[in-house]
Amino acid sequence: MRELELYFGPQHLGMVGNFSITLKVEGDRIVKADANPGYLHRGFEKLMELRSWIKNFPMVCRMNVVEPDSMEMIYSMGVEKLAGIEVPERAEFIRSIYLELARVGSHLFGLWAYANMLGFDTVAQWAMYHRDLVLDLFEELTGGRVYHIYIWPGGVRRDFPEGFEDRIVSTLHSIGGCVPDYDNTFFNNPLFRERAKGIGTVTREDAVAMGGTGQVLRATGMEYDIRKVDPYAAYDRVPWDVHTRTDGDAYSRIWVVRDEMIESVHMIFKLLDAMPKGAVYNRIPNPFKWRVPEGDAYVRCESSRGELGLYIVSDGGDKPYRAHFRTPSYPHGLTVLEKALVGESISDVGNIMISLYVVAPEIDR
Amino acid sequence: MSEALKGRLEAIFRDIETDGGREGRLTVRAPAASVLPVLRQLRSERYDYLQLVSCVDWIDDGELEIVHVVSRYLDGEGGLGDGPVRVVLKTRVPRTGAVLPTAIEVYPIAEPYEREVHELFGVRFEGHPRLTPLFLERDYEIPPFRKDFDTRQYVEDVFGSVPRVGEDSQDS
Repeated sequence: MRELELYFGPQHLGMVGNFSITLKVEGDRIVKADANPGYLHRGFEKLMELRSWIKNFPMVCRMNVVEPDSMEMIYSMGVEKLAGIEVPERAEFIRSIYLELARVGSHLFGLWAYANMLGFDTVAQWAMYHRDLVLDLFEELTGGRVYHIYIWPGGVRRDFPEGFEDRIVSTLHSIGGCVPDYDNTFFNNPLFRERAKGIGTVTREDAVAMGGTGQVLRATGMEYDIRKVDPYAAYDRVPWDVHTRTDGDAYSRIWVVRDEMIESVHMIFKLLDAMPKGAVYNRIPNPFKWRVPEGDAYVRCESSRGELGLYIVSDGGDKPYRAHFRTPSYPHGLTVLEKALVGESISDVGNIMISLYVVAPEIDR
Repeated sequence: MSEALKGRLEAIFRDIETDGGREGRLTVRAPAASVLPVLRQLRSERYDYLQLVSCVDWIDDGELEIVHVVSRYLDGEGGLGDGPVRVVLKTRVPRTGAVLPTAIEVYPIAEPYEREVHELFGVRFEGHPRLTPLFLERDYEIPPFRKDFDTRQYVEDVFGSVPRVGEDSQDS
């Protein structure tokens, strides 16, 4: 059969986000895929070199629209490591709770995109509504719904307001109460199974060779979670489980996401119970005159899509000399996606891409 | 923790400098010719995870520093008792005619990172199968992430003036 070249995205019904893939197809089958990022390249890392350490916080969170919080966290971790700043125990707990809330919100957003892609519009609307409830919590805590700029070096910006813990619990209960509905309508639905089972399979060997992390690895049975293997914040203070599946296909990945979301909610409850009292930030030098000591550091955390890393260099000045974010979507959207698409049908491109949890702004930066 | 690995690397490679042990991190400085052999050695010791390939422009020294961050996914069975070690491999090349062999054969994930470093810093990776642009759509005289590329001036030059549109624009 004749081989054709097909431009999939950035304007395409099956494409989520500003991203395109050049496909070589034979009939309906994909022979070769070339990922084509760059539609959202804003040069953030270069711009960061022009701004003082503290002024970069509103910038880093914009690298990922879906989950800006882990971006704040990783940049704080990098600056803290370079400057040798300690974080109070209560702030570590607040950071963990905040990041887990962000994970739930981000997974719900991912579920919206995925369910929409497969035509489960009702489930998608539920997920969007429930994400909005999480955003309400963020709005109360930080004043912003999407970009919060809440974590900064030395702790967090402010303590939880009066009664906030109770509102977290009640919001999460109202979302958690709908898990049976989600299961009946979506996760245990034979239609979802039909569409996702055996689609976009990534073997563990391939995932490891191509830098896969997060759900991509956990769906192949590897218990790899930075929160466990290289704990930060308060993740080693409470017991929790890493959820895995073994098939490595879209179905496994989405099930890992579901299990992880529920685990996050349980983790937040445990963290709230164990949270100590005390200060929520340590004083840092005057941020407008702050010079961070010379050196370089690589730090990493687990965002909702996998390993988020930051290589940061200071020359002892008042601005970062170089910052390079290793975002999870970068390997997932470039190398893993190109490999996973080969042999699949055109109609499953969006399905596979969202199941790999690719967020385009994170790749381009 | 990283002492064992440090000893092994220093025994094999004479031309590298190591510095480390701090918090399970080992910094290795190697000349361009030794990058690939060091990465091969690490790979053979089950350092299976290339986390990042980055580049830093040290303009005052006239050099670009290419950084490979390598570690293990899980430090379990088959390890050599190093514990969790992150190796930061740094290589300096001159800013003019910067070239380095590609690491794709050792770590396939190096492919997009090297493309990015080539595009943004102008380092050529020898043997790389597609050093085509990754993000950018225009041609630049100076690779845009180098320190001597003035972002603000560039923005002023390219986007500083708004072309006039509308009815009266035809007259002018």
